[in-house]
Amino acid sequence: MFRVIGVVGAGTMGQSIAEMLAVKGMDVHLVEKTPEKLQHAVDMLEASLDRQMERWAITAAEKKLTLNRIHMETSLYHLASCDLVIETISEDMDSKKAVLQQLDGILSKEAIIASNTSTLSLTELAGASQYPERVIGMHFVYPTNRIDVVEIIRGLQTSDDTFDRTKTFVEEALSKTGVMVYESPGFVTTRLVCLLINESLHVLEEGVASPEDIDSAMRLGYQFEHGPLEMADRFGLDAVLAALERMFREFGELKYRPSFLLKKKVRAGQLGVKTGIGFFKYDKDGERL
Amino acid sequence: MNILVINAGSSSLKYQLYDMSTETVLAKGRVERIGMETSILTHEVEGLPEVKEVSEILDHTTAIRKVLDMLTHRKVGVLRNITDIKAVGHRVVHGGESFSESVLINTEVKLEIRKLFDLAPLHNPAHMMGIAAVEANLPEVPQTVVFDTAFHQSMPKMTYMYAIPTVLYRKHKIRKYGFHGTSHDYVSKRAAEYLGRPLNELKLISCHIGNGASCTAIMYGKSFDTSMGMTPLEGLMMGTRSGDLDPAVVPFTMNKEDLTLNEVNSMLNKHSGLIAISGISSDMREVVDAMNEGNLNAKLAFDMYAYRIRKYIGAYAAAMNGLDAIIFTAGVGENSDVLRRAVCEQLTFFGVQLDEERNAVRSPEPRRITTDDSRVAALVVPTNEELLIARDTYRIVKPILDRKG
Repeated sequence: MFRVIGVVGAGTMGQSIAEMLAVKGMDVHLVEKTPEKLQHAVDMLEASLDRQMERWAITAAEKKLTLNRIHMETSLYHLASCDLVIETISEDMDSKKAVLQQLDGILSKEAIIASNTSTLSLTELAGASQYPERVIGMHFVYPTNRIDVVEIIRGLQTSDDTFDRTKTFVEEALSKTGVMVYESPGFVTTRLVCLLINESLHVLEEGVASPEDIDSAMRLGYQFEHGPLEMADRFGLDAVLAALERMFREFGELKYRPSFLLKKKVRAGQLGVKTGIGFFKYDKDGERL
Repeated sequence: MNILVINAGSSSLKYQLYDMSTETVLAKGRVERIGMETSILTHEVEGLPEVKEVSEILDHTTAIRKVLDMLTHRKVGVLRNITDIKAVGHRVVHGGESFSESVLINTEVKLEIRKLFDLAPLHNPAHMMGIAAVEANLPEVPQTVVFDTAFHQSMPKMTYMYAIPTVLYRKHKIRKYGFHGTSHDYVSKRAAEYLGRPLNELKLISCHIGNGASCTAIMYGKSFDTSMGMTPLEGLMMGTRSGDLDPAVVPFTMNKEDLTLNEVNSMLNKHSGLIAISGISSDMREVVDAMNEGNLNAKLAFDMYAYRIRKYIGAYAAAMNGLDAIIFTAGVGENSDVLRRAVCEQLTFFGVQLDEERNAVRSPEPRRITTDDSRVAALVVPTNEELLIARDTYRIVKPILDRKG
C-alpha cells in the first residue's frame, strides 16, 4: 500500500487532496512551481484546518500532526521516494505531458502516476510517459475530505496491476468508493453535473425561475446538498465553462454548448466562491451570504 | 515467570514486561507512529536512562520485533533470550456479549474478536493486529486476552438494555456494555480485603476517574450497573468526553451546525468535557490550578465534574438499596484530594464523613479517607491495569505450562 504520496499542483484541488491524505495519516509531498504559490497553499491549508477545528472535526494536536505530514517542495525531484504521484495541475494537455515526462526520470518503476484530469484524454496523456501502463486517472470530487467517491479512469494502456493497486488504495486506505470508468470526456460526474448546470442556466436565461428558486427546487426536490447554481459557484464558473467547452468539442453535440450567461459571467470575472460573487454572494470562508 | 503485556492501538503499541515471581516491571515502553518512516520506540528500564530510537516501522509485526530486540539488547535489554518470555497478555477493549472473563487465545477467540469489530471499530482491529504481530514473532508462546467489558457481563438485563426498539438490540447488539472492567473488578476485591469483610456481602460503588471516567455499582462482588454504555462516551463528564446528554442534542446540533457524523462524533469525544467547559485543559490538575487562581470557567468545569460523580453515587446507592463503601481509583481518583473532597462533602446525608487529614495522604497503598465512625466508608484504592492483565495471564497460562513441564 502507498505510504508516501506526491501531489503535483497546489491549487484548490491539490490542497484538498494533500490535506485529505495527511488527515488519513499518509506522508505527502506537495509540489508547486514557485515559493510564493507554495506559501499561499500553506496559508490555505492552515485556514482549512482551522475551519475544521471550529467544526470540532479535529483537535489542535491533530492539526499540527496533519501539517507536519505535508512537505512543501518546489521541485519534482523531491518525489523520488513516492509510491504514488497524483498530478493535479491546471487542465492543459501540454503542461500535464511535460510533468509526466519529467516524472519518468525521477520515480521508481513500480510507482503509479495518477492524473486528476476531468476531461482530457488519459490515453493521450499516458502516451507522454515511457511507461503508459502505470498511468491512471483518479478523479476526486471537491471537497475531497467530504466526498467519498473517486472515479478511477483506465486509459487504453493502463495495466490491470495499476488499476487493482489504485482501487485497493482508494477503497482501503482512503475509505472511499472507487467507480471504474473508461476514458470519455467528463467521465460520469463532470459530464452529468455540467449538463445539469448548463440546463439550469438556460432555465434562468429563459426567465422560467429566479436563481434562488432554481436552487431551492433542486435542493429540496431531489436532495442535493447545494442547488446547481451554487454548485457551479463552488466549482468555479471558469472551470465549468472550460469543461463544457471541451466536452462540446469532443462530442460535437449542441447540448454541451456553454450557455451565454456562463460566458458572460466568466468574462466579467464573477467566478463564484473564489471571487466572492457568481450567481450568489459569498464571504471569504466560502459561506453564502 | 516473565509475562509481556501489550496494549496495541492502530498506530501505537505500549508494552510492559513483568517478572511474576515478584510482580515487578522489568521494562516498559511504547512504539509510536507505526506505519511511518519515522516511528519512535521509547524503552524504559528502572535505573537506566530512557532509550529513544527512531526508525522505519511499517507494521505491528515489525514493531513487536523491535520491542523484542530491545528487551534482549546487550546493554539496555533485561532478558538474555527471547524464550524467557513465557506468555503475552493483550488488552482488548470490547468483548461484547461473547466474553465474560479473560481467555487463552485460539482460533475461535480470534474469530469472535473479529466479529466484534463493528462495536469497537477504533480499538478491536488494532488489538487484532497486535495479537497477529506477537503470533508472527513468538509462535510458540501462549497469549491471552483481557477485556475491558468482561466484568460487566454480570449486569442484569434490566440495567443493560436501552429503552429503544428491541430490534436494534437483536440486529446490532446495541446495549450497555461498560468499560474499565479490569479495574473495577480489582479495586472492589482489594476494598473488601482492606475492609476485612467478605465481598459477597458488600454493596460498593467504584469510581474509576482518569482520562476516561466511569462509576460501577458492585453488588455482592458483581457488576450490577455501570455508567459507560455501548461506547465509553456515556456517563460521567470526562477530560474531553461529554458523558450523559439528551440524545436529541445530537441530531439537533448536526442540523443547526451542518455537521457530519464524523464531526459530531469528534465533537462529543474529543472537544467536550473538561476542555470544553474550562476552555483551558482536559487535565484535572490544570483545571484545579486555574480554579484556584479564580478562573470561573475552570470552577464551573470542576463543579459539573464533581456533581455528576455525586449524582451517579446517589443513583447507584438507590439502585442497590444500600451502600457500604465508595472507592476512588485511577489517575484523578487516586491523586486529586480536592475532587474527592468535593464529592464526599455533599454526601453526608447518607453517612459519608470525610476525614480531611486522611484524604490529604498520598500513598500507593489502599487507604480509608473517611472517619472511623462514618456509616459509609470512602477508600482510595490504586489500580494498575497492566499488572491485572499480567496476573490474569499468569493465572490462565501457569497450569498449561506446568502440565508441559
